[in-house]
Amino acid sequence: MQRHVSLYGLTFSLPLLIWQLLFFVFPLAFLVALSFWTVKNFAMRPDFDTVNWVTMFSRPVFWQAYGTTFALAGGAALLTSVLAFPCSYAIAFKLSDTARRWAVFLMVIPFFTSYLVRVYSWQIFLSDNGIFNVMLGWIGLGPFGMLNTVGATMVGYLTLSFPLVVLLQLFSLVFIDRTLIEAAHNMRCGRLRTVFEVVIPSARVGLTIAALFCFILTFGDFVSPVYLGGGDPTTLSILITDTTKSGQQWPRAAVIALTMIATLLVVAFLAVRFAYKGRSK
Amino acid sequence: MQRDTLVSFEGVVKRFGTFVAVQKMDFEIRKGEFLAIMGSSGCGKTTTLRMLAGLEAPSEGTIRLSGKPINHLPTWERDTPMVWQSLALFPFLNVRENVEFALKMRGVGKAERRRRAEQWLDRMQILEFAERNIAQLSGGQRQRVALARSLVVEPEILLLDEPLSALDAALKVRMQAVLKNLQRETGITFVYVTHSQSEAFSMADRVVIMSRGRIEQIGSPQEIYGAPRTRFVADFLGSSNIFTGPVTATSGQGLEISTKDGPVRLAGPVAAMPGQGAEATITVLDTKTHLSVARPEGDVNVLPVRVIGEEFIGATATIYAETDSGHEIKVQKSHDELASLPISAGQPLFAWWSPSDSHHVGAA
Repeated sequence: MQRHVSLYGLTFSLPLLIWQLLFFVFPLAFLVALSFWTVKNFAMRPDFDTVNWVTMFSRPVFWQAYGTTFALAGGAALLTSVLAFPCSYAIAFKLSDTARRWAVFLMVIPFFTSYLVRVYSWQIFLSDNGIFNVMLGWIGLGPFGMLNTVGATMVGYLTLSFPLVVLLQLFSLVFIDRTLIEAAHNMRCGRLRTVFEVVIPSARVGLTIAALFCFILTFGDFVSPVYLGGGDPTTLSILITDTTKSGQQWPRAAVIALTMIATLLVVAFLAVRFAYKGRSK
Repeated sequence: MQRDTLVSFEGVVKRFGTFVAVQKMDFEIRKGEFLAIMGSSGCGKTTTLRMLAGLEAPSEGTIRLSGKPINHLPTWERDTPMVWQSLALFPFLNVRENVEFALKMRGVGKAERRRRAEQWLDRMQILEFAERNIAQLSGGQRQRVALARSLVVEPEILLLDEPLSALDAALKVRMQAVLKNLQRETGITFVYVTHSQSEAFSMADRVVIMSRGRIEQIGSPQEIYGAPRTRFVADFLGSSNIFTGPVTATSGQGLEISTKDGPVRLAGPVAAMPGQGAEATITVLDTKTHLSVARPEGDVNVLPVRVIGEEFIGATATIYAETDSGHEIKVQKSHDELASLPISAGQPLFAWWSPSDSHHVGAA
């Protein structure tokens, strides 16, 4: 069969192609090249040396940060999904059409303010003499060290991804065929059990994609682990800044960045495969 | 023999806001019968079925199953499995898992579940597709999965909401036979909602005809076809010529009404005889109405008509004609019977029938 590339089609796909090349392929290619450069006397030199890869991969601190980041992002994806589900479920099934539109609008509002601003405002709540500790003091509790903990980092991650996860979950929940739910009820499946037997399997694609987005956002996040987690434990994004600051080691930072990209590609591939497992086209 | 009552509707009303979907409904479903509920869309037939399944709560009245009121029971505590118009098969489960679902919900063990599911798949002749996805099945196969899924729990009653409406004509007839046989063999009470007269009349032991939330008539297909009880039913079935007019004469042996085109008589006993001068409606089946070129002699109803046209339906044809006042009359005949008649538009003929074939329906 002959393949035609129509001028019309080409014209309209061209901007996308250019965009992809300019903002994705070229920087990525540069990053790959950079990871093989060498640094001598605080100056980078174009080179082809695997020393950066060997150095980084043999450092326990790198693997520690990798493990921490992966666990934090995985934990955030799970926690956010679990917390967001009742919310999106209620919006999808318990609200009227008008109320649902308002709820969606309210979920979009957080995106109006900068993430950094929202994270800073959490400091006011979580710090040792912050709002939460003052309120707990009224009933004779605390103060508790809430800021600069993993818990605070999680709060930041939730702030970042919760509205998005709710929206993504919501879009898969509202398209569930209601008769499937009725059919389950009709076959002696109670309300709660129907959520697990019918609603979640029906919305599997959307729920997985939502969790994946949360993982992607939090895996590369720098703001929450620094400003709420206090930079301890070190995550890969913190390690990148540290590496660039200490002795102009941009090539080593490139190694970290490329490892992160590779990780996200693998995770995304596995997640999508899981989401569509057992579905025939 | 009087059969046991399985379900009874007692003064059941269903309102959605100010809209009354079902008004004051009283009827019974007998154990082991095939009952069809028929009517055009919006007549309340599906609402009736959904109330029985527990998917809608009645606004008033009581629904009893085996004598016990079930109004307060949520659907998951009733044994009233339903087959949906969309079938509502679970796309994320394969065929066997779909059929096992209801058993799983009842806590039946894995091995037993599998055995019973496969038994029903075999009975529905789809065992070979047990491990397939729903998306890989044809319409007819899906239908069988839906039936197996509902029947696997061996219920006393099965509710069906227009399950055949998505199938093509040949498959529809095939599935009608499957359903009818299944019902006969299992003895399970089937309640079948449809807008299709042919589906209802070919399968059901009794038919309930509904209109605007009200029951118009309940009876066997023969009873309803031969003797529509209301003007609505006669109109809805579309197989009768209908005449309405004031009563001019009554006797123990029948009645006569006056129409714009002349008197129409009925010979035979009449239940609830209307009074002199009251409005009455007389119907006659299109198959019992005849046409002739010469004015027929004897004790018959005769109306002069002009042919409008004819419609072929397989072995028979329906001739449409109208009287001088514009009243439409249809006559259904085999092609042989029509061979001798000059059928062309505008042709004057006489429509006639025996007064003993006339039938009186209640007013309105």
